[in-house]
Amino acid sequence: MAELSPTPPKGQESIPFWRDGRVIGVLAQIAFVVMVVLGTAWLLNNVNDNIGALGSFRCADGTESFRCGFNFLSIDAQFDISESIIRYEPSDSYARALLVGALNTLKVTVLGVILATILGTLAGIARLSTNWLVSNMAKWYVDFFRNTPLLLQLFFIYFGVILLFPAIKDAIQPFGLPIFLSQRGINMPGPVFMPSFSIWMAFLVLGIIQAQVTWLFLGRREEQTGKSSNRGLWAFLSFVLVAVLGWYVAGGTANSQGIMVTNATRVREFGDIETLVLSRLPVSDLGDIDTAVADGSLSTEALTTASLQICAVKDAPSEVNFTSQLRRAGIPFVVNRTDRLNQATEAYVAGDCEVLVAPQAALASERSTLENGANHSVIAIAETPVRISVPRIEGLNFIGGIKLTPSFAAILIGLVLYTGAFIAEIVRAGIQSVAKGQTEAARALGLSESQRLRLVVLPQAMRVIIPPLTSQYLNLAKNSSLAIAVGFADLWAIAYTTLNQSGRSVQVFMIVMAAYLTLSLSISFMLNWYNRRIALVER
Amino acid sequence: MTTTKSSATPLTKAEEVIVCKDVQKWYGDFHALRGISLTVKKGEVIVILGPSGSGKSTFIRCINRLEEHQQGEISVEGTILNYDVRNIAEIRREVGMVFQQFNLFPHLTVLDNVTLAPIHVRKWSRDHAEDRAMHWLTRVGIPEQANKYPGQLSGGQQQRVAIARTLTMEPKILLFDEPTSALDPEMIKEVLDVMRDLATEGYTILAVTHEMGFARTVADRIIFMDAGQIVEENTPENFFTNPDNERTKLFLNQILHH
Amino acid sequence: MTTWIQSLQERVGNGREFHFDSGRFIRENITKSWLFTLWLIILTYLTLAYTISQFRSLPFTTGVLVLAWLLTVSLTVYNEITRSHNTLTLWLRNNLYSSITNTLLSLLLVLAIVAAVWGFIDYAFLRASFTRVPEEAQAILAQFDSPGANWGAVLDNMRNLMVFRYPKEDSWRLWFVILYMGALLAASTFVFSQERFRRHRIRQALTGIWLATPVLTFMLLLGVKPVPGRTVDFLIRLLAVLAGLVALFFLSRGLLKRFPSLIVSFLVTVLWAAAAVTAVYLLRGTLVAGLNPDIAWGGLLLTLIIAVFAIVASFPLGVLLALGRRSQIRGIPPWLTYSTAAVFTAYYLYTNTLPAFAAATTIVQQLFSLWPLLFLVIAYLFQKYFKGNVVALFCTFYIEGIRGVPLITVLFMSIILFPILLPKGMEILSTWRVMAAAALFAAAYLAENVRGGLQSIPKGQYEAADAIGLNTFQKYRLIILPQAIRTVIPAIVGQFIGLFKDTTLIAIVGLVELLGVANLISAQTDWLGVRREPYIFLMLIYFTGSWVMATSSRRLEKRMGVGER
Ligand SMILES: Nc1ncnc2c1ncn2[C@@H]1O[C@H](COP(=O)(O)OP(=O)(O)OP(=O)(O)O)[C@@H](O)[C@H]1O
Ligand SMILES: [Mg+2]
Repeated sequence: MAELSPTPPKGQESIPFWRDGRVIGVLAQIAFVVMVVLGTAWLLNNVNDNIGALGSFRCADGTESFRCGFNFLSIDAQFDISESIIRYEPSDSYARALLVGALNTLKVTVLGVILATILGTLAGIARLSTNWLVSNMAKWYVDFFRNTPLLLQLFFIYFGVILLFPAIKDAIQPFGLPIFLSQRGINMPGPVFMPSFSIWMAFLVLGIIQAQVTWLFLGRREEQTGKSSNRGLWAFLSFVLVAVLGWYVAGGTANSQGIMVTNATRVREFGDIETLVLSRLPVSDLGDIDTAVADGSLSTEALTTASLQICAVKDAPSEVNFTSQLRRAGIPFVVNRTDRLNQATEAYVAGDCEVLVAPQAALASERSTLENGANHSVIAIAETPVRISVPRIEGLNFIGGIKLTPSFAAILIGLVLYTGAFIAEIVRAGIQSVAKGQTEAARALGLSESQRLRLVVLPQAMRVIIPPLTSQYLNLAKNSSLAIAVGFADLWAIAYTTLNQSGRSVQVFMIVMAAYLTLSLSISFMLNWYNRRIALVER
Repeated sequence: MTTTKSSATPLTKAEEVIVCKDVQKWYGDFHALRGISLTVKKGEVIVILGPSGSGKSTFIRCINRLEEHQQGEISVEGTILNYDVRNIAEIRREVGMVFQQFNLFPHLTVLDNVTLAPIHVRKWSRDHAEDRAMHWLTRVGIPEQANKYPGQLSGGQQQRVAIARTLTMEPKILLFDEPTSALDPEMIKEVLDVMRDLATEGYTILAVTHEMGFARTVADRIIFMDAGQIVEENTPENFFTNPDNERTKLFLNQILHH
Repeated sequence: MTTWIQSLQERVGNGREFHFDSGRFIRENITKSWLFTLWLIILTYLTLAYTISQFRSLPFTTGVLVLAWLLTVSLTVYNEITRSHNTLTLWLRNNLYSSITNTLLSLLLVLAIVAAVWGFIDYAFLRASFTRVPEEAQAILAQFDSPGANWGAVLDNMRNLMVFRYPKEDSWRLWFVILYMGALLAASTFVFSQERFRRHRIRQALTGIWLATPVLTFMLLLGVKPVPGRTVDFLIRLLAVLAGLVALFFLSRGLLKRFPSLIVSFLVTVLWAAAAVTAVYLLRGTLVAGLNPDIAWGGLLLTLIIAVFAIVASFPLGVLLALGRRSQIRGIPPWLTYSTAAVFTAYYLYTNTLPAFAAATTIVQQLFSLWPLLFLVIAYLFQKYFKGNVVALFCTFYIEGIRGVPLITVLFMSIILFPILLPKGMEILSTWRVMAAAALFAAAYLAENVRGGLQSIPKGQYEAADAIGLNTFQKYRLIILPQAIRTVIPAIVGQFIGLFKDTTLIAIVGLVELLGVANLISAQTDWLGVRREPYIFLMLIYFTGSWVMATSSRRLEKRMGVGER
């Protein structure tokens, strides 16, 4: 072989740098960095020119620092927020106001995601129905909501429907259900959770585990004996058993609810209330009240005065717990509601009512503040973990139930209908993507209809469905910022008010962006995790 | 029409067109080429054989910088293959490559596929390029397909378009990486015939192929690679009848008795 | 699903005596599973209850519908038994009455749909007013207990909805644009569909016209005209600019031909950019915008301008972002990254941490004072996830950042932050701000679409392009991007539909596009409080627009797919 190798004059060492592939890349990178840094510096300089002078970044000691730009968060917000999960008053700080907004956004997002998934799944399945009408209705629903702007839908729902609902006294009750549509929004029955709910919750978790265990155990036995047992049913029954048990245990051991009465009433336990009220009525049995009112021997005014007079805090679970027991016993009552417990106590002391309803602990501490506490006694009242509270019209207000304000109802309904249409398409495509052959193979294996759905179709469809579903959830979260259009106090609406009021635009935008990015990233993170998990299970 | 560029002086031995010295290549921790040294003379036809994963493709792709080697030296037509972008461009202009999967551009017609590089790299006028393109398409036997899209052709036709695309650039060196492996038996012949013609026309050819007939009849030399090294370098007759190396014998046994 | 009718049918056989297997019928239609039975019971109850309640409110219609239902069901069953289906009953059997549940469901839905449709017709036509005279409309609507639609509000505001305050005397510009677009579209469809125009000059000319169209339309809509009294001056300058551009064109072509290298093509690009700046500089002052977009643009016109601008302007940026995010450029080497980070860390540890650490009273404060160490962490993450590629880092952050936040915040940012970010005293109109924001927003989404397209290109395409000697720029321009973009055209059309709908959001930031006009109508004294009607009209516009675009894109996709892949 020839030993004479080519020796070009320019060896590897002497490549001019502008032609060296290694250097060009790094130079381009550095040039890019310099450009970005210069651009940012220019922008920051402009920001400083424009608003730095306004003291937006001034610290307490008069120096200017970027860090101090966020000091305004501890100033009083001084604006009102129409609805909030946590306690909020205008005297709270901007930070707390923003937190209220963030929680409201979270509330809309979580509820919206759940409801839109349900609606979307139903509509997606309906799209594939063998019934022509059903599948076409679903198709029109999907087409309409996907092809019109969400904001337009929101405006229509809010201004064109909800705000045109009748006044409270003419509230619409669809199909005679206890759901009220009025200018106040939507009022409907809903659960009221008592403190003992947490105990019951523990039992429910236990029940799920129990059902899981039963299912697995029976499954193993089925494999051994080769005989099929109705394991779904047994698992369900064992869950119900634990749940029922938990219900009574939670209710029985709970001892948090109570009422306060004066000793003069001679009420020592719940049963004594009936005696007390009966003693003021011209009837010998509570069941006779209606007839007495009907035949005129008892006027409504007299009934009202003779009823049990109750003082309670507005929207408190304690009241629901107590009054629903009164209602079951047939005892007539009148409730006098106040915003805070100390006001209720004042009313009670002033003699506006004979019974003060609240949690026992609160009552005990209230009693200790009374001058003659010994004259009053606190009586335990039984509770159940959950009570269903049904809305009623009392005067010009709704009492009980769940209230959806017009704004909240509009944004929630709008988001659910809109996102549901997109999810329906995803679900349909997902189910259709599971090839017919798969279905037939499963039939050939002799799997039952439900087994086929559960074991063959769903797992495969899920893999197709999850990625686009994630982006729909993300869209829902982001679209919730349109709440500002219907006056719901979500994160962006409150941030905007904060921005206008405090003038700290750059900082507020940074906070809002960070919050939405966190929300988006956590949703995609969770669903990616889930996606990876089902992808693994599939292997 | 193309000559060696200003950056490289003429070779001491003009006919040595590819010179590789101790070429080493790693993929991460994996040592794919372990010191390949090879000199190819002008007009030589070299067939590279070797078991799967032995680094044949990696080596041949190093020659036109589709892969970077990390140690050693490769020079093509006197131009050193290093990080100098101008050298890389020069070498790619002179080296044509035909892939196993054809890699035609599906959004362009056959004619556009073939004229693209001459127009944009060689800066020929469109007329001249089309002229040459039709010449080569005729040579590979498919002038009538010029206005179709690659998706409308058979595999053999596609590979012949790919060869025409390479030849229209008028390269001095041709690299073939298993050009017939993705083809049906009856199409293999179409392509091998074209390659055989080219071999007799004085092109320098480096081909990875499993077509033993082609290797035996056309190659000037056969290179056998295993585990990133050249294990044997021999003439076809010797290689097939009387190989030096144990590994080669094993390989030939497997290939020929299957 | 086996159906009850099928089970009947199997018993009938060919002319054999009809025999009904009641056990099987019940098994398949009622007691299939306990869930199914429950569903059937609920459905039966619902259907009955709903039918009765409909009888009360609409006795005649409901009666007719129920009768028709009974009739068709019995006819279908009869035909099934006797195996004498006609087209109608066969269709009914397959689509409406295939099982007991479906049969019930069909009745329920027919009643509901008829009630809904009737309700809408009643509202939109029977009890509606169509007059554009407000007083008459009031009189008409007053006749009804619950008045229907007041379409006069929409009709009266039609011009507002379409173009809002675009001056009447400038209307010809709009008509011109519409005609021009129509003609251009027709011409291109014709020319591009004809094989004989391949490589014809006409095709290149059309492409050129298309490229110039955005600028021309824009100037037309803005009412751009020469400054009064400087028309001649303008014409001379324009001629000079045109001549210069033509000269530059030939110059750059010659240059590229003579010195085909990356550096020369870069220089030529710079030259063109310089030429563009010079041209603007020369023409500046001779032209004046006749219209202020903040005032003159509105309604559907503004909606379209913004949507089209956003998608067109976001295209180059989006492609660049996608390429940047996927770029494989050699990154900043680790030693450089780490040493830079180390310098920063050391500097801030010395100037910042030392005093803060000394002053700190709690452990938490001490920990916080160590923040400069974050530089090292960032450097590590940067090397690990981006291999030192700043371009990819920047593009990824931009794309994910924009996609992670709502459009409405981006729009407000443009309104509120743009003035802060620009040099003092530099003002830009709200319309420009919003358009810029929409384009910047759309670019992030477009980048992701294009990236999807890029990912779908097989590695062999890159290798073949390299092997035939194309440089990077040519490789992307001639091989990769044409294919990548072609695969994502449907996605881009989808994105445009999304933008078309999303333009409604600018109503919130105070520009008066379609939705903005609709909101204004309810505040007019003539049509106080009329809200539903404009909204319904808008829904019609948006629905038709999106639907037509979606359908035609699907058709285009099908046609383009033929033969080219
Ligand atoms: N991009 C890559 N990254 C990591 N390893 C690689 C890469 N490309 C190739 N390899 C490895 O390098 C070795 C040589 O691969 P190469 O493709 O050159 O083999 P080959 O001889 O062409 O095999 P075949 O006959 O199957 O084509 C193989 O073990 C392969 O796994
Ligand atoms: Mg190979």
